[in-house]
Amino acid sequence: MSGPREGGRLGSPEVTGTELVTQLRGTLDRAAELVRVLEGNLATLQQLGHGEPSEAPAASAKRVEELEERLRTAETDVKELASRLVDSEHQAGRLMNLYVATYQLHSTLHPEEVQETIAEIAINLLGAERFALLLRDEDEEACEVALEEGLTDEDTLYAGRVYRGGDPLIDATLDDGVLRLGPEDGSPVLAAVPLRVHDVIVGALVVLDLFDHKPILRSEDRDLLDLLSAHAASALFAARLYAAKDRKLRSLESLVKLARRE
Amino acid sequence: MDPKKVLVVDDSKLMHKMYEVMLRQYVLVHAMDGLEASQELEDHDDVDLVLLDINMPRMGGLEFLEHMGYQDESKALPPVIIVSTEGKEEDTQRGLEAGAVAYIKKPFSSVQLTAVISEMPDDVRSREQA
Repeated sequence: MSGPREGGRLGSPEVTGTELVTQLRGTLDRAAELVRVLEGNLATLQQLGHGEPSEAPAASAKRVEELEERLRTAETDVKELASRLVDSEHQAGRLMNLYVATYQLHSTLHPEEVQETIAEIAINLLGAERFALLLRDEDEEACEVALEEGLTDEDTLYAGRVYRGGDPLIDATLDDGVLRLGPEDGSPVLAAVPLRVHDVIVGALVVLDLFDHKPILRSEDRDLLDLLSAHAASALFAARLYAAKDRKLRSLESLVKLARRE
Repeated sequence: MDPKKVLVVDDSKLMHKMYEVMLRQYVLVHAMDGLEASQELEDHDDVDLVLLDINMPRMGGLEFLEHMGYQDESKALPPVIIVSTEGKEEDTQRGLEAGAVAYIKKPFSSVQLTAVISEMPDDVRSREQA
């Protein structure tokens, strides 16, 4: 049987995720149809075999055996295709999230909009209910809470929008730049994501709680956290740099205008 | 249900981009809050489905449903799917009571979203019917 193997095109790089899913669904439907036909044929043959025992029983038995083998193969192929379909849909979803997150992070040079995007990624793609974006102060002794969602007075480590240390998971991540997933003893943090600019750890995104309908961080979330680690800080710093330069430019232009009037 | 034109209402630019990627098969109309959405519905009388966020500035999802009169089943309005973030059951319930026909919670995958859309019956409230 060649049905599922027709998927030679599946590996083709020009086939998009959506097309791949469509192809797999089509192949799956065809394979299921084939299984139904084979089952029908098999039932017919078995009836014939029972009804007319004198008609070449050996040949009929062999034919039945062949069809049963083909049926087993088809069923195996259907299961494999179903599994590949689920994997493909999963991959397509991951790639969509990563594409949209990257696109949106770098779509603006306004620091506030970059921060909004980081918050939107945390809420809408990760499902984070409580989180904080920590950025190291220039003296590097503490971190400014540049962005937070859902923090309360009970979150004393972030009081006054400053984090001075105290959570072992966050401190370790700020120290060595390794993404850590929790919670663990002494830390309620679900994820501490290092933020890097030119291999320098400039802060961390701290996920403290997820929405009820998303009980755990899944494997695909790890990709998103990695992306945030690599892109969030650089997008934010590029935007802040641009804003600072823009302010300086405006000041200089004002000075020039003033000087010309005088 | 197989809609042709979908109005997506969300205050998140990220979500609008996500809808663009997930719902390529449909023509999308975008609105950032309930007020914009009501205007877009006036401008696009061929919208046949609305994806509606709950929490938005100026006019949220529940206020939009009330403002448009979704509780009046005789009104010619496209069906609404509520897109909720918080997982607050009471908001979702209030939305359904206010005239929405289905809901989905963020974060969701394109498979989940298209499943919710396609599982909606064709005879659900529509402009043509009303």
